[in-house]
Amino acid sequence: MSILYLLIPLGLVLLAFSVWAFFWAVRSGQFDDLDTPAVQILLDDDRAPPERRDA
Amino acid sequence: MDERCFHCGRALDGSETHALVVDGVPRPMCCGGCEAAARLIHAQGLERYYAFRDGATPPADPAARDWTLFDRDAALRRYSHLRADGRREASLRIDGMHCAACGWLIENSVRALEGVVDVQVNPSGARAELTWDPRRIALSRVLGNVHRLGYLPRLRGFAGGADDGSEERRTALKRLGVAGFAMMQVMTYAVALYAGAFDGIEPDIERLLRFVSLLVTTPVVLYSAQPFFAGAWRTLRARTLGMDVPVALSIAAAWAWSVWTTLRGHGAVYFDSVVMFTFFLLVGRYVEAALRQASGRERDAWARLLPDGVTRITAETEERITPDELTAGDRVRVLPGERIPADGVILSGRTEVDESLLTGESAPQLRAPGDPLIAGTLNTSGSLEMRVNRAGQDSTLAAAARLLERAQASRPRIADAADRVAAWFVGGVLLIAVCVAVYWLRHDAARAFPAVLAVLVVTCPCALSLATPAALAAATTRLARSGLLVTRGRAIETLARVQHVIFDKTGTLTRGVPRIDELRILSRHATPERCLAIAAALERRSEHPVARAFAAIDPAPDVSDVTTEPGRGVEGRAGGVLYRIGRADYVQDIAEIGPAGRVVPDDDARTTLILGDTSGPLAAFFLADRLREDAPAALQALRALGLETSIASGDRAAVVARVARRLDGIDARAGASAQDKLALVRALQARGRVVAMVGDGVNDAPVLAGADVSVAIGSGTDLAKVSADLVMPGAGLAPLAHGIEIARRTLRIVRENLAWAVLYNTVAVPLAASGRLAPWMAALGMSCSSLLVVANALRLLRAQREPASASLARDEVTQT
Repeated sequence: MSILYLLIPLGLVLLAFSVWAFFWAVRSGQFDDLDTPAVQILLDDDRAPPERRDA
Repeated sequence: MDERCFHCGRALDGSETHALVVDGVPRPMCCGGCEAAARLIHAQGLERYYAFRDGATPPADPAARDWTLFDRDAALRRYSHLRADGRREASLRIDGMHCAACGWLIENSVRALEGVVDVQVNPSGARAELTWDPRRIALSRVLGNVHRLGYLPRLRGFAGGADDGSEERRTALKRLGVAGFAMMQVMTYAVALYAGAFDGIEPDIERLLRFVSLLVTTPVVLYSAQPFFAGAWRTLRARTLGMDVPVALSIAAAWAWSVWTTLRGHGAVYFDSVVMFTFFLLVGRYVEAALRQASGRERDAWARLLPDGVTRITAETEERITPDELTAGDRVRVLPGERIPADGVILSGRTEVDESLLTGESAPQLRAPGDPLIAGTLNTSGSLEMRVNRAGQDSTLAAAARLLERAQASRPRIADAADRVAAWFVGGVLLIAVCVAVYWLRHDAARAFPAVLAVLVVTCPCALSLATPAALAAATTRLARSGLLVTRGRAIETLARVQHVIFDKTGTLTRGVPRIDELRILSRHATPERCLAIAAALERRSEHPVARAFAAIDPAPDVSDVTTEPGRGVEGRAGGVLYRIGRADYVQDIAEIGPAGRVVPDDDARTTLILGDTSGPLAAFFLADRLREDAPAALQALRALGLETSIASGDRAAVVARVARRLDGIDARAGASAQDKLALVRALQARGRVVAMVGDGVNDAPVLAGADVSVAIGSGTDLAKVSADLVMPGAGLAPLAHGIEIARRTLRIVRENLAWAVLYNTVAVPLAASGRLAPWMAALGMSCSSLLVVANALRLLRAQREPASASLARDEVTQT
């Protein structure tokens, strides 16, 4: 069972990474609007976007 | 009669003249605003909006607005931020968005404008971030475009900080996330520890698992559970016992005890219970906070009542500025029809001011030089020059809004106390804990603490924590679907227990817009058509509230020289004849023959307007507020639910009596001040009644705070939404009775859930304690129990046959 001494700390590292990733996602506004993107994909244009979109 | 406006879906009565040809089919429109919006959407090829939108679009505002004010340098500096590359960024609030498709529409429509670099719209937060190139497009054109689509953009001060609660929401989400991740982790350790307790486990491994659990749980207690500790501390300092106290107590005690046993090396640990308890409570709070945000609460909602622009008079010139730029001491010109931009005093000019918003008094008040003016009230007739005393945050309007917020903030405690189910439960748990403590201290003091803790922790399992929040969340969604937005979850429980509904204004049961109730011709020389046309032409120049009664009538084309006399009426010439409309004595003044014989009628219950020429009075218009079409049915439905109803109105007795008569003699009180209404609420409560207040709630802060639950009607002002527990966004009353039914069903489901959870615990806990339950059976039983509770709550969402009246009500969205 000594493998647990490796696996459990590894699990903790993964946990720390998940929390960090989640915080990053929240901070960068990924959760601010949960409704629009769902509809966006249905509404977005299949046609090429209009010519503007200046660099 | 089946025709509906293509854009907003409002029922049409066939008299509309607006239409637009879409896909070769002429589509009827209810007004110029909707036509303009549909035309723009069509021109930009964004018709798919109509296919994907969800719910009713409010009618577009047909009034043209001047946005060029925001193109001035001073305004740009105030509202936007200049980037190094010469582009500007601004943060907008956009009112009127109701679904994700609205956000899509605005984004695509605005992006197509030449010179707009980027726009990001967030419909759930009613916000938009705009980046544009000021050298290629004026900000006013972007704002105008959004407005033409039927939404109302509002710029937010860039330096002032865009504090809209999104930061709070993010913090809450992070707390929830930490608790969630920790819970998954700690539960796996707990399963291993449980299994080990039954089948044997190496002591070293057991110690490792406990220490790791401690490591993972500690951030949850210190970070995620922080709101509970803060809340408990706040209530304790106020010398009350809130819901947070037992929560904080059990989290802190269970954690401290587990830390102690971990360090000591033997005894039970409760880390899994700590994280699970915290997580589920946070879920409930997060859902409630998200709902509050979705219901359109915002800080500084009062600012929407200020005019878009103000004319400031300086020594040399006059300039248009935004009301935010006003400071005390400024001299300002206010034209008829404009709202007063700040508190101040009239320097010159006479007018009538509509102060109904703040005082509830529906008749405009006469104001002369030296008289005070209040920000947000409407200048109906004369041109004024005023000196600003208090602007912005200092104004009476802002203070009133803050008062409302405070009245509201002080309420949750009372609401919590009224939250009988939870209070009963917590009280019971604490009582049992004390009994257990007393028992064990007498018999075996060493086991007293673990036993007490076991009792406190036993109340944590998911079924109990989920019972109420799951049902409330489901009910909130269901209520929103039937036209009633909940702004605080606890309101549902109170709504279910309501016994008496008070309508706080006649305008709640009526449409709030005067209509011509009767036209009586007083002279043989007059025809109804001509009288109506002349009256409409004269009133078209007036901003007095009664003028709206004539808005739908085609005005006579030959009317000229129109002037307004504040407080008396309007005069003008048509075909060389001088006409006057207004109060009887004002019209008589121009009569050359004197008041010869023609009796001028009067009516107490209705507003009377006289039209006359130099020969004397020609016609009398009786104006009255029309009852909402669904009012009698809605009241009938409320009575069918066993509720009592009454009106407490500030209006005149005759007006109120007229409304009451048509509602089968509903109990009515007229001329009631805010104090009278509060006394009425208190008297009912003293008799043990649970009182709901329905109204627009701007001038009645104490009444709203006094009522057990307050409902704002959507066609009321935005300020009301800041204060009410529930908002009916449509203009109909039907959702109320239906909502009470749903609330009652919700309460029943909460009770079922709690009963199940208690039953499960009383059976499972002794069994588990006596070792007759294998860990996997306990785990399975617990999961099934939680699922059962959630499934029971979801029954609320199941679409039942919707009362026809509820869906009808949504189409009744009127313009205000």
